[in-house]
Amino acid sequence: MDLNRLNARLAPRSSWQAVDVGTRFYRRWWRQASLVWLVFTAVPFALLAGYAAATRSAWPLFLFWWLKPLWERPLLAFYSRALFDDYPGPLALLRAFPKYGFNGLAAQLTWRRFSPSRGFLTGVWQLEGTRGARVSGRIAVMLRPPGQRAGTLTLTVLGLEHAMTVALVVLAMTLVPWQFNLEWSVWFQEQSHLQWGFVNLAWYLVLMVTEPLYMATSFALYLNQRTWLEGWDLQLGLTRIGERRRRAGGGAALALLLVLFAAAPHPVDAQAPPPEQADPKQQAIELLASDTFMPFEERQDRRLRESLRDDDGDSWWQDLLRRLLDREPDGDGRDPLKVPDGLITGLGYLLLALLLVVILMMVRRYLPGMGGRGPDGKPVMPVRVAGLDTRAESLPADLEQALDQELARGDVRAALALLLRDGLVTLFHYRPLPLTAGATEQDCLRAYQRELDGAPVIAWLTALINAWTRTAWAHRPSDEQAVRELMARWRALRPPLAGGPR
Amino acid sequence: MTTDTLGEMTPEQATALAGRIEAQLNQVLIGQPAITRQVMIALITGGHVLIEGVPGLGKTLLARSLARVLELDFQRIQFTPDLMPSDVTGHVLFDSQTGDFRVRKGPAFTNLLLADEINRAPAKTQAALLEVMQERRITIEGESFELAPPFVVLATQNPLDQEGTYPLPEAELDRFLFKILIDYPSHEDEARMMEMVLDGRLPDSLDAAQLTPEANAEGILALGRQADAVILDRALVDYILRLVRATRDHPSLVQGGGPRASIALARTAKTQALLAGRDFVIPDDVKQVAAPVLRHRLRLGVDADIEGQTVESLLEQLLEQVEAPRQ
Repeated sequence: MDLNRLNARLAPRSSWQAVDVGTRFYRRWWRQASLVWLVFTAVPFALLAGYAAATRSAWPLFLFWWLKPLWERPLLAFYSRALFDDYPGPLALLRAFPKYGFNGLAAQLTWRRFSPSRGFLTGVWQLEGTRGARVSGRIAVMLRPPGQRAGTLTLTVLGLEHAMTVALVVLAMTLVPWQFNLEWSVWFQEQSHLQWGFVNLAWYLVLMVTEPLYMATSFALYLNQRTWLEGWDLQLGLTRIGERRRRAGGGAALALLLVLFAAAPHPVDAQAPPPEQADPKQQAIELLASDTFMPFEERQDRRLRESLRDDDGDSWWQDLLRRLLDREPDGDGRDPLKVPDGLITGLGYLLLALLLVVILMMVRRYLPGMGGRGPDGKPVMPVRVAGLDTRAESLPADLEQALDQELARGDVRAALALLLRDGLVTLFHYRPLPLTAGATEQDCLRAYQRELDGAPVIAWLTALINAWTRTAWAHRPSDEQAVRELMARWRALRPPLAGGPR
Repeated sequence: MTTDTLGEMTPEQATALAGRIEAQLNQVLIGQPAITRQVMIALITGGHVLIEGVPGLGKTLLARSLARVLELDFQRIQFTPDLMPSDVTGHVLFDSQTGDFRVRKGPAFTNLLLADEINRAPAKTQAALLEVMQERRITIEGESFELAPPFVVLATQNPLDQEGTYPLPEAELDRFLFKILIDYPSHEDEARMMEMVLDGRLPDSLDAAQLTPEANAEGILALGRQADAVILDRALVDYILRLVRATRDHPSLVQGGGPRASIALARTAKTQALLAGRDFVIPDDVKQVAAPVLRHRLRLGVDADIEGQTVESLLEQLLEQVEAPRQ
């Protein structure tokens, strides 16, 4: 690897500019990087996807996703050498895998798997060879300001991956001729081998783009961080000068001497320099300013138009825009966007969690048969069934006494309602069924007939509901004696039911 | 009970008569008891029915059978793009022999009118029929003719093959009491029907002649009067209103049921109760007729449509969510 053949200009940049450099890496080497990805992952993916399609299970693909840190290592190895104009082929990377592939992999596949800085930190193990207890310290240093954006980058690429997968599937489906009468919702519900295979293939094709891109940008961030922390640009510049001087008979000492000389206080000339000798100070300045040592680069930054800046300065959105755009980029060595990366990552995870909750709620709402069930899946008794208050606490402690009181008042309807409420609540606790607020008396009866067909309580419930229906809806109250008979039957039936679920 | 003794009847007699009519219809329309029940409800209530189903499911047979069992006058119009309003209602023609104009009454002058594939005729012809359905009166050249009761239109439309059709506007759909979806019979029912045809117990052709009349026009009107007398509790009126109003407020629906839907629900629930052998309505009667009464009066929003929801599924949700009536 020839350090003089650097394929990029190293300079301390903002995180966003570093990511931009990463995208240029990808644009330059996308063919080789995609080939590396393909060689390392095609066979494992085909095997796992085939097994997933055969068993209609998702875990093989989950396994492939989980092993992403493993698949990303050859990509980083490729980029780290391509930076110095050395392009190892996939087979060379495969042979060298034991050297770069295993250090820290166990950590990345277990407790560090969900690290938002995954791609950025891979270099700590793979390129630096950091091991053991030093890893945590090194990671802490790497995550220091000046504000790398590894977490935001991971979330962005993750979103890109999902959006591209969905877009690819939708695009492919729109190309299906209309004669096939493809109904999307039905198509996804069917979950056939073809659908599994198609969606998985789309995902894999997207990964062929997003993973090399992710590792290129992560690597660029990593380089940028080390440039900020360790002055890699200076180090490489000095190394180059030293090598050039050595070849020219000078040596690295001269280069260092020149630098030190340039940094020293201005000396008072004892005598005029001989006209044939160049001024060492001037030489040092020229060297430092030369394109090979510290290349100039053009940077662009955005500012708000004056018209906007002069408007109402207290407006919150103008303030936000100013914070985002109207700072001197890197003027103080800071990221222009001062929102911490951890906050963005945290917000990203929060949004994902919220999305998951919303999806779960929608599934619960729209999935047939889920109505009337609690979060634990058990049926929940509605507050009202058939228009009757079915809260257990609304029932009297002594049912018989309350019923006698209603009958004594001549209110047969109230007595029957009491009996029906007690019957429904007791039955529900005995055998919970997914009843809804819209359930009628007959709905309840049908539900329990299906569940407890032939049980004595069903005959009693039928008689009770018939009596109640005539009283409530036909305005023909049953006689008092019939209500007492129903109560007597309930007295015998209730204790085993009230004993609890069976 | 014979067709001569159908003046006034008890609720039990009414239920028994309706049961016999249904039984006769179910003999020829195999495996579609829900359809015959809904058509019976519409007939007794005096409302019109829009039947949607693919061809070959017995829609014409049902109409012919009804006419036969009830001894009603029956006419059929095949709606086509070139059908004129006068082809439905009738027109005035000049009689050269008498030198006079005389009215030639169209097929709408009947008791039971089968309007086959109503959405194939242009809007002008549809509007002429729908006006007749609403007014139960036909005006030809300034002369009005009252239609003899009962007058029921059974209109059909094919859910597939919508090319070159004229969909009925919502305002006109509202005039149908029921929209009935007729689907293929179950495997067992279809097998039974095949066996009956192969054994010669069921004719292969559209022949309703084997059926015996059970009632006449007066009998149907008497059943209607009995249905009117069925008790509808105030709480049930409130339930019907809550149900219909819930369709208006539902976020997935851009159009809910109007007052005509509420009235139709109440009237058909009464008839349903009568056919179930009761002289009072229970909440289940309302639930049973809710779908055919409401499905053609509701219009799904674009978002809900894209999400794959249907009017049927929304109605099911509403029936589960709207609290049952409180007594």
